[in-house]
Amino acid sequence: MLAPSAQDGKASGAGVNETAHRLRTAAPALALMLVALYGLGFQLQLPRAFPSDADYRGVAEALAAAKAPGDVVLLHPWWTERARLFFPADLPVVGYLGSTADDLVAHPRIWVLANERLPRTPDADFRRNFLPDRTPVGESRQFGPLTLTAYRNGRARPVLLSAIDAFDRLEVSVEGPGGSPQPCQRSGSRILCPSDASVDVAWHEVLYQPVRCLFVLPPSGGRTLAIRVPDAPAVDALLLEAGITWEHAWLPGRAEVQLRLDSPAGSLHDRIPGAHEGFVRGESPASGPGPWTLRIQTPNPQDRKVCVRLRGLGAAR
Amino acid sequence: MSRAPTPLDRRIALGLGVIAFFVLWATERPVGFVRDESVYFAAAEQFARWWSLLFHRPSAALSDAVITQAFDFNHEHPMLMKSLFGWSHAIFHQTLGWVRPAAGFRLPAFAVAALIPALIHAWGSVLWGRRAGLFAALSFFVVPRHFFHSHLACFDMPVATMWLLVVYLFWRAEEDLRLAPWTGLAFGLALATKHNAFFLPVVLTPFGVLAAWRIAGEEGRRVLVRMGEVAVGFLAYVALLLAVLGRDGLVQSWQLLSPQTFGLVALVVGLALLALRLRARDPAAFVKLAPLVAMGLLGPVVFYVHWPWLWYHPVDRLAWYFDFHATHVHYAWTYFNVVLRAPPFPLLYVFVVTALTLPISLLLPMAAGLVRSVLLCLGDIVPALGRRFGRGGATEWLLAVNALWSILLISHPSVPHFGGVKHWLPSMPFLALLAGREFDRAAAGLASVLQLAPRRAIAVSLALGAVVLLPALTLTVHVHPYGTSAYGELAGGIPGAASLGLQRQYWSNNVTGVLPWIDANARSGARVWLHEVNGLSFRDYQRNDMLRKDVMPVGGPEDADLAAIQYHQEFREQEVLVWQAFGTTIPSMGLYLDETPQVVVYRRPGR
Repeated sequence: MLAPSAQDGKASGAGVNETAHRLRTAAPALALMLVALYGLGFQLQLPRAFPSDADYRGVAEALAAAKAPGDVVLLHPWWTERARLFFPADLPVVGYLGSTADDLVAHPRIWVLANERLPRTPDADFRRNFLPDRTPVGESRQFGPLTLTAYRNGRARPVLLSAIDAFDRLEVSVEGPGGSPQPCQRSGSRILCPSDASVDVAWHEVLYQPVRCLFVLPPSGGRTLAIRVPDAPAVDALLLEAGITWEHAWLPGRAEVQLRLDSPAGSLHDRIPGAHEGFVRGESPASGPGPWTLRIQTPNPQDRKVCVRLRGLGAAR
Repeated sequence: MSRAPTPLDRRIALGLGVIAFFVLWATERPVGFVRDESVYFAAAEQFARWWSLLFHRPSAALSDAVITQAFDFNHEHPMLMKSLFGWSHAIFHQTLGWVRPAAGFRLPAFAVAALIPALIHAWGSVLWGRRAGLFAALSFFVVPRHFFHSHLACFDMPVATMWLLVVYLFWRAEEDLRLAPWTGLAFGLALATKHNAFFLPVVLTPFGVLAAWRIAGEEGRRVLVRMGEVAVGFLAYVALLLAVLGRDGLVQSWQLLSPQTFGLVALVVGLALLALRLRARDPAAFVKLAPLVAMGLLGPVVFYVHWPWLWYHPVDRLAWYFDFHATHVHYAWTYFNVVLRAPPFPLLYVFVVTALTLPISLLLPMAAGLVRSVLLCLGDIVPALGRRFGRGGATEWLLAVNALWSILLISHPSVPHFGGVKHWLPSMPFLALLAGREFDRAAAGLASVLQLAPRRAIAVSLALGAVVLLPALTLTVHVHPYGTSAYGELAGGIPGAASLGLQRQYWSNNVTGVLPWIDANARSGARVWLHEVNGLSFRDYQRNDMLRKDVMPVGGPEDADLAAIQYHQEFREQEVLVWQAFGTTIPSMGLYLDETPQVVVYRRPGR
């Protein structure tokens, strides 16, 4: 009984060895074919991730019908900016590297326009940075590969006053060292100051984030620029954000920028370290009505162009 | 085994070259003018005028002042390719009128690039057979970024060609002495193409010396040792001069009759005499060393003679040339959401970018081929590996070292990392060759398992080759002419690369995607800001009928009616400045490749 079995076993073993040998021999070709087929499949599938113009128009129509003051559209992934071509001008569209972490303080409702069919969509980043304190409102709507979802923004707070909105009544001067303040003059849309300083409201980039801000060229000679908002209302918090614009931020060997915000709530000191990219943020406690004065000073004014957002916030909703 | 390809493979190589040339020519029209290319166009025209002067008034043309005037422009790079561009433009566009201006400049670039598949096949077919050679040749050519760079009247693809040519001729000359002078000449042409070629002696000298040493008899080895002593003596002499004079003093005090000239002449004469002695006493060893001797003698001569700018001030200007490239500026470059601006750069950058930009079906055989090659080489050193994987030998080492050299060189954290894959292109033909071997093994294995008759085996090989090359081909067709934006499947294609935070494009050529819209929509005499497109490129788009001639270039958004912004992470401020200047954040149109913004166009409201 054993012999045939043994024979069968040998035959079977030889067959297994033969099959394994054949598989090993054919493996490189099979691997090449599989990878090539994966490549072809990827390329054939990819166009399904691309929205048509009609998809975007559908989104634009839906937004036009549902938008409310304070709404904003957030793109996910952040770079899908073709959407900008289609959306109404009065609806801000936010999409920049790092925008999932933007608190979007001024926007109580965020429309997230997501395309999760795109390869390598950074969903983990979205979950980690965007979703906390955000609650979906209503059902998501699908437009081709695009998903439009409204979120209540738990990080939003009423903006009671923004320095850029108060630009027309700002009082700006250059102080010290040792001398009396020298007032600045308005010239067109800019405020021009002694010691090559100036202030205006403009769009600039701070670590890839487009921001409309107070664009400040600090004074030379170790002097301090003082920007005063004379009649600010009572606020629950004063939010100060300041950053060096564009590529000047990373320049090595530059001195820091000193910031001091005086308000009825007291003084808030902050600084933008040399080579720091992005905003530095500081928040003061509740403040009664009265002037806010922001002082900015740096030894390297020529390449420390500062983008400042100063906002008085109400209570969180 | 003869290292010469068979007559049939020579014809196949020629056919591959001819086809590649015509494919490049047929597909060049939509390829934009990269920032450097228009500079080279202008330089080529200027040099062509000097050549014309040389023929008509040689005494005037050969004066120091006229040479300086003619060749000072763009003296960052030597003259070979720019001269070819200029002559070709003068003949085929200006004289014969057969082609548009840009094609006139680019024809030599096509011809030189087309040599790569031809050389790869000629070499690969000898090493591993026709199947390997053919696949290797095609696998280089159908990579989207290789295909793109093959179109440009620049130096990155030409120096890849020259590198391959020199190494191939060196390999052939080690067997056939008649090819040694050609190796030297090719090395001179490589030096005359781009500075990468100065590394060729570093790569090839160990191969030539070791091969000669192995085969040499006692007397031959004595001569080789003496040659080594001469070389070491020269280095010691240079070190002494540097210690005494300093770097600047060494350059500034170098005259015709000076210690520096003496040292150089002593080196050349000494080595040449010893080479002659080796030839007389050990001809077999001399054959192995002959390509290096030819490179040493002919290379510098060709380099000097081809570049009139060096003729009157060789030392100062060579010193400037080396200094310029040794201290090249670092351009910003985006890598996994970080804008790299200054060293140290990530050590694995080159490997990662290579893997992410190659089509995956070619990445696999190239990577497998490189791993196999490295293992075989290590098998020569480590007996256990040799027993397990086999041993390599000199040719395997030559292929592996050249496949890795440029990649490792650029991987050094202090070397500039901008420019996509173009700076390590000289490695890629060697990786393609190694991929050819992997493909050959795979096809042979398949035919063996299926127990196919030779004819069917050929058919199956062709089918397998087609399947493996098809994804790369479709990717190339899809992305053309925007090759600087191409990413492979591993990156998730162009949109995947955008999400990974990789450089989206470079060199500004993608602007061609929005020029037709500007032509159709710009008002007469409109002022147009083409961000990152330099003035020479703007002029070239107009004179090649790719942009209306009535629109005017401006230098920024403040003066512009239309602005076309190149999407670069480091240039976000530029787009925001357009918002500020135009009072709108809404683009009018854009070039969106697979949804990724590449070039975004804004129109000033009311213009």
